[in-house]
Parts: sequence; structure tokens; C-alpha cells
Amino acid sequence: MIYRENGQFKTTYRADQQIFPILQDRVVIGLFLVFAFAAVPLLASDYLFRAILIPFLIISLAALGVNILVGYCGQISLGSGAFMAVGAYGAYNFFVRIPGMPLIPALILGGLCATVFGIFFGLPSLRVKGLYLAVATLAAQFFADWMFLRIKWFTNDSPSGSVSVSNLQVFGLPIDSAHSKYWLCLSILLVASLLAKNLVRGAIGREWMAIRDMDVAAAVIGIRPMYAKLSAFAVSSFIIGLSGGLWAFVYLGAWEPAAFSVDQSFRLLFMVIIGGLGSILGGFLGAAFITILPIALSQILPVAAGWFGLNISTAGVSHAELMIFGGLIVWFLIVEPHGLARLWSIGKQKLRLWPFPH
Amino acid sequence: MKVRNVILAVAAVAVASSSLLATSAFAQAKEQFVPVLSYRTGAYAPNGVPWANGYVDYLKLVNARGGINGVKISFEECETGYDTARSVECYERLKDKNGGASFVQPLSTGATFAITEKAPTDKIPVVTVGYGRSESADGSIFKWNFPIAGTYWVAADTILQAISKKEGGWDKLKGKKIALVYHDSPFGKEPIPLMQERSKMHGFDLQLLPVTAPGVEQKATWLQVRQAKPDYVVLWGWAS
Repeated sequence: MIYRENGQFKTTYRADQQIFPILQDRVVIGLFLVFAFAAVPLLASDYLFRAILIPFLIISLAALGVNILVGYCGQISLGSGAFMAVGAYGAYNFFVRIPGMPLIPALILGGLCATVFGIFFGLPSLRVKGLYLAVATLAAQFFADWMFLRIKWFTNDSPSGSVSVSNLQVFGLPIDSAHSKYWLCLSILLVASLLAKNLVRGAIGREWMAIRDMDVAAAVIGIRPMYAKLSAFAVSSFIIGLSGGLWAFVYLGAWEPAAFSVDQSFRLLFMVIIGGLGSILGGFLGAAFITILPIALSQILPVAAGWFGLNISTAGVSHAELMIFGGLIVWFLIVEPHGLARLWSIGKQKLRLWPFPH
Repeated sequence: MKVRNVILAVAAVAVASSSLLATSAFAQAKEQFVPVLSYRTGAYAPNGVPWANGYVDYLKLVNARGGINGVKISFEECETGYDTARSVECYERLKDKNGGASFVQPLSTGATFAITEKAPTDKIPVVTVGYGRSESADGSIFKWNFPIAGTYWVAADTILQAISKKEGGWDKLKGKKIALVYHDSPFGKEPIPLMQERSKMHGFDLQLLPVTAPGVEQKATWLQVRQAKPDYVVLWGWAS
């Protein structure tokens, strides 16, 4: 009743091809952006920013990148942590070694380093598929672990292997308060999502989806597999590298190579699987699920155990988190293998009829 | 279905109300709040669990004896699993609770580095008892770090002094081979600058043999040790 596009006729191709053709969608997205930019900084507490919102924004940027590679192009990658690491250390080296390098160009250059790394470790995708490609990208992960631990040049010859950045600023505005960090991450996420959405709606996105669905048929009709696969690796690694730079600079502040371990790669892959492969929204939903659930569980479980008179230790909470987490992943894959994004689109379809059921 | 919905609704309401009620008044009693960042899970749990138990027990003992000059210590444990990002999240969650944290012990070198950056802004002293960032002994730079009971450089120097005593003096170390088998992380790399300085000062041959984190797979390194045949092996690990 509310969510119908009756009467919304498009008179130009441009209007017809926009990302949100339905007026209600545009209104909701506009309100949501206003809420995100203006209302959240006024309402949220400092803890909510530093521990939940900022990591959520950065990880959803990374999930966006992974979704482009895994969901849209069908190349399973377990090397996302490595791309984040390359982005972070690349940005760090540009930031520290070139005097006066501003923050955003350093992050973008870090992303470009990750692009080169991603293309290099994407070369196996031209020969292997599926599980074997996952193993080949896992090699990227361990290679990056080794590289940043052993090659002292990358950590600026720091004796402990730990590096840190400080005094971040964008156009003279310091990025030290929770609000400024939140706005920086939100703006970068917005720009990157817009670019990613337009890429996947365009010719290159259709090439990726063709390779995902049936690569032999795609090659037959004239799509070059090498170009499509390597461009997917390139774009995806750039976005993941950018998010790695943000994770290190804005969220952690000081980090060591273990911050981008194989656990991070697995988390990103699970996010994309739970959120929905092949959907931009799916990256955000999966990131929200995986970032917020452990924290929510660690708050709720002691309270829940208290009703039954049990005292649950912090180790117990941590173990329970893992069990519940794993159980939920399995449950999701059985109930809705296409992820949360599919649930969302089913919801929107039902809203078109609401409140009049068939 | 209906019973299940009722139960879920009651659960949601109860959680919401109890989390609101939990911020009750600690304002009456004289208390200081200490966040306890511990790791009872993860690769270093064998050392983390006794440490956490001892720390919590000691805080309870101090409270049972009347507190410090009558001021009791309230604390809350947070599980970090020796992961820097989780430690930072625990620190952020607990630093403002119950009137603000009086001090924080990061308990992991990675977390020490990260929290050292944040402590001056939050004005919370970072206490590192025998671990942490060795450079933080310089209070003029690291104004909010308090390394108590020595740092890793002190520990490494003590080990070298013991070795030299065994040999009969620093000059007897000349030409000897000392292998440092260390955990390949910021924690493990802490003693290296000091050991390299000492090796230059006294002329002994220092061999650095890293063990990949988390340190359960050490076979390769010990094969290297057998090959190198050092006079002394200094093991710089933790619970593995």
C-alpha cells in the first residue's frame, strides 16, 4: 500500500536507470543518511562509537570489497586479511616516509599497493577455481604475515615490529575525536559504496557475474576471463586495502602484523556469506551481524546466566560466543543460503502487497 | 509458537531493564574501579587463567582486609583472548564505567602499544608490571605509562648477568654463542635491542631464532638450535 510505484513513470533513460528508481526508496535512503550523519553523533555514546560503530563502518567497507570478489565474480578468496595488511602497511609507509603526506592520499596509495598485491595473488584464479583458489589465496595470507614480520623495511625498522600513527588530519581538521573518526569512515564508505554499486550495475559488473555463473559460456560469448577476473581482484583489493588502512590508522592507532591474521580473512568471508553473496547490501548486513553479535553476547550472556543463578566467567562467555556464532552460521546457511540480503528483498516484496495479502 | 513468543518478549524486556538497572549507585561507598583485561581463552590461556585468578583473588583479598586506606576496589573482568583489537574494545567499554577507571593493566604487549596511544587523551594511567613497552621507562616522554617491577630490558639484562656470573665475569663471555629463541611478536622482540647492545659490548655471538606465533609449532626453530650448537639458549616465550 505504501511501497508501490504506482504513478511513478520515468520519462528519461537517466531517470529509469537510477540506483533507487522508487521514490519511497529514495526518501528512506535520504532519511537514513541524515540520521547517520547528523543524528547518530548526537545520540550515541563514546563507547558506542569507538567500539561498535567505527569498526562496523570499516569492516563493512572490507566486506564490500570481498563481496565484489566472492559474490559478484565468484572467486573464493581467503586472503582478505592480507589485502587489509598490505593496504595498512602501504598507507603507513607512504604516510611516514614522505614528509607532509596528507591522510587521504596515503590511504588511497595504500589501496593501490593492495591492488598490485591482489592482482599478483589473483593470477592463480586464471588456472584454478573454487576450493583450490581458496587455498591459493590462503597462501597470500601467510605470505603477507611473513612479509610484515620479517622484512623490517615495511615496519620502518621498528625493533618491536609494532607501528603506530598519530596526528591524523584531513584538510586541517584533526581526526582524533570519536565524531571526526566516525564522519571520516562514513564518508569514505559512502563514496566507495556508490562507486562499487555503479561498477556492479555496469558492463564490468555484468562480466563478473557472467564469469561467476558460467565462465566457459562467458568466454564463448566474448568476455575475456583474464580481464574480468583480474579486474575483480584489482577493484576488490583496492577497497579492502583502503579499509585496512582505515582499520589501522583510525581504529587501532598502533598495530602489529598479528592484527591482520587469518582470523580476519575468515571473518570477512563469513560476513559475506551470511550477509548475502552478490549483493551490496549483503556486505553491510553481514558486517553488522559479525561485528555486533560478539559484543551483544558478552553483554547479554552474563545477565541471562544470572537469572538461572549461574555465574558465568568471562572465559565461559567467550566460549559460548564461539558456539552460538557457529550455530547461527550453520542455521543461516540452512534456512536462508542466500543470506540476510535475500531476507531483506523478500521483505520488500511482501511490503509491496502489504497490508493486502494474496 | 505463542508460548515461545511470550518467552522471547519477557527475555527481551528483562535484558533491557537489567542492563539499565546495572548502572546502579556505586556512588555511596568509597570505591575505585579497576578494569581487569585478562585472557582465559586463546593460545596463551595456560598462563592467562592462573594470572587472572590470582589478580582477582588478590583484589578480593585487599577488599576483605578493608581496602586501601578504607577505599575498596571494584573491578570487572573482560576477556581479550590476547587479541589487540579485543583488548582495545574491552578498554573502551570499561574505561568510563563506575566513575572511570583508576588505572588499566593491558596485559599484552600489543594492547600496551595500542592503549599507550589512547591513555594520554583519556587520562588513565597504564600500569605494566614487568612487561609492556620497554621505552616507557622514560617518564618524560611516556607520561601516562608506569612500568613497575622492571621492563623486558631489565629482564633480559638479568638473564645475561646470570649467564655472565656462571661464566665468571663479563669478559669471559667473549666468543661464546648465545641463542635467543623468541616468540615472533612485539612481545618477543622486546629484548633484542638490549641483547644486541650487550653483544657488542662484551663480544659474544647473539643468534636470533624466531618462533612463529602463536608458538605451538616450534620444531623448525629447535632444529636450527641443534644446528647452531650455542653455549646458552635464552627462551623468550609465554605459555607455549
